Amino acid sequence: MLLNSWSIALLLCGLIVLFLMGLAARSAIRVLLFWNPESDSNRQIRLENEIWLTSTLVEYALGIQIISLIVFVLAANFYSQSIAGAMCATGSLLANSFGVPALLVKIGGVFFYGFWIVLHQLDIHSEQYPLVRKKYLYLLFLIPLLILDLSLEILFITGLKPDIITSCCAVVFDDATGGGSNLIGGFSHGLSMELFYGTAGVLIGIGSFLLRQRQRWMVVLFSSGWLWFFLLALAVVTTEFSSYIYAMPFHKCPFCILKPEYHYIGFVMYFALFMGAFFGMSAAVIEPLRFVDGLESGVAGYQRSAVKFSLLFLVFFVLVSSYHYWRYILIGGEG
Amino acid sequence: MLIELKNVTKIYNQEQVNEVTALREIDLTIDDNSMTCLRGASGSGKSTLLAIIGCVFQPTTGRVSIAGKQLSRLPDRFLTLHRRQYIGFIFQTFNILPTLTVQDNITLPLVPLGIPPAEMRRKAAVLMERFGIAHRRNFPASQISGGELQRVAIARALINNPPLILADEPTAHLDSRLSEEFMHFMKDLKSAGKTIIITSHDPLVTEHADVDRVLDIKDGRIDAA
Repeated sequence: MLLNSWSIALLLCGLIVLFLMGLAARSAIRVLLFWNPESDSNRQIRLENEIWLTSTLVEYALGIQIISLIVFVLAANFYSQSIAGAMCATGSLLANSFGVPALLVKIGGVFFYGFWIVLHQLDIHSEQYPLVRKKYLYLLFLIPLLILDLSLEILFITGLKPDIITSCCAVVFDDATGGGSNLIGGFSHGLSMELFYGTAGVLIGIGSFLLRQRQRWMVVLFSSGWLWFFLLALAVVTTEFSSYIYAMPFHKCPFCILKPEYHYIGFVMYFALFMGAFFGMSAAVIEPLRFVDGLESGVAGYQRSAVKFSLLFLVFFVLVSSYHYWRYILIGGEG
Repeated sequence: MLIELKNVTKIYNQEQVNEVTALREIDLTIDDNSMTCLRGASGSGKSTLLAIIGCVFQPTTGRVSIAGKQLSRLPDRFLTLHRRQYIGFIFQTFNILPTLTVQDNITLPLVPLGIPPAEMRRKAAVLMERFGIAHRRNFPASQISGGELQRVAIARALINNPPLILADEPTAHLDSRLSEEFMHFMKDLKSAGKTIIITSHDPLVTEHADVDRVLDIKDGRIDAA
């Protein structure tokens, strides 16, 4: 499956990002060894100029890597046309043992890469370069993640063979399917909707409180709540909401909602969910930076905006994802 | 104290075959509300020094502080804000845009600040009146005389009401009458509390009674104060 435009785009993108990060790693090592904002030496001044270019490149590289999650899912969907038994990205991802890990690493990467961009933005909005060491140390930790991301992607793509027989989403996410092939086997449906709406309500409550009065433990609670809600929402979309979108009780799939026949509603839902979760979680991630000189107001300002955006995305996500479900409950289906 | 330079060195094209050391270990303090002249031959480094004080260039080593704030190493976006707010530049060739009107040239530094057009015109009108170019308000800059161009350049440097005025060889292309006029304007600005730094080797400037201090620059070093 290497020689098609999706694979080439994904691999090229991954290699370019890794190359840029490799260059940035050299700057990162110099920063960790020699960075001294008190010094007026030529080395320090050159380092200050160098990190402007490096940081901008890293910011764009990580931005591209975040967007590559969408390309990866679209590619997986495209591969399903050539794999026996696959009807959508689910079948492709399960066609070998690297598909699901590759997707999970990419999903996790969205948050880890995004947090670096937040750190960078906070840093360049201060006059004193307060986060240079921290963000370059973090950058060095991101490189193994990027290598893992790219390696799993390569193993997944090269491991896809047209003669593999895989399962389609109808089998994988069917309630009746037991055993290891059911990705959400054992997920209890009983409380899922109550938990979904309950957690959303609690998050809105905590978020509204945080917009009026900021308390450290509330920020941590809000972000932890978002982590829980993010995972819960992915499961609820798959097990509950998706079948109402497809208008087929036995069709449960987190990927088919990305298809044109469902008006790409999945993109809208996942965009809102990822953005909300990212802003919600980043509020706590940057909490320790409140005590860094020159960042007090920047961190407080970002946290306030992050809480506000996460609440807007939460409400939007809940409304869009629930639309077909409530429509069915209230007026009895598509007519 | 307004301006302080410590151990400032500037090397162009560092580590290349055409490397040039323009300034060497400059230590300098310039007081508030003073007029200082940087005097030196062509290539002595005086324009480079002015550009470093004006945060246009970064020193290769050393630091520049203005009003107690370390400026030379601020990230670029903050330097831009600083330049807009605190520094007025008058260039040797004035750098007036010939296709814009006199008024539009003068209000140009206000454009990035998002000031309403009526307020920009009001500020420009005050300065045009002061420098006697109000009757040229709507003339394209290409159609006014050298003396008027000079006044437009001064008005443009003052439109933000900056506390620091930097003038790079401002009389190099002017006759003695216009040079006298220029120094008269500078004297008025000094009386209004501005700090003025002028690079020049024109005796009309360097020997002017209102110049508080003349610094001779030779081979990138300050010779005597």
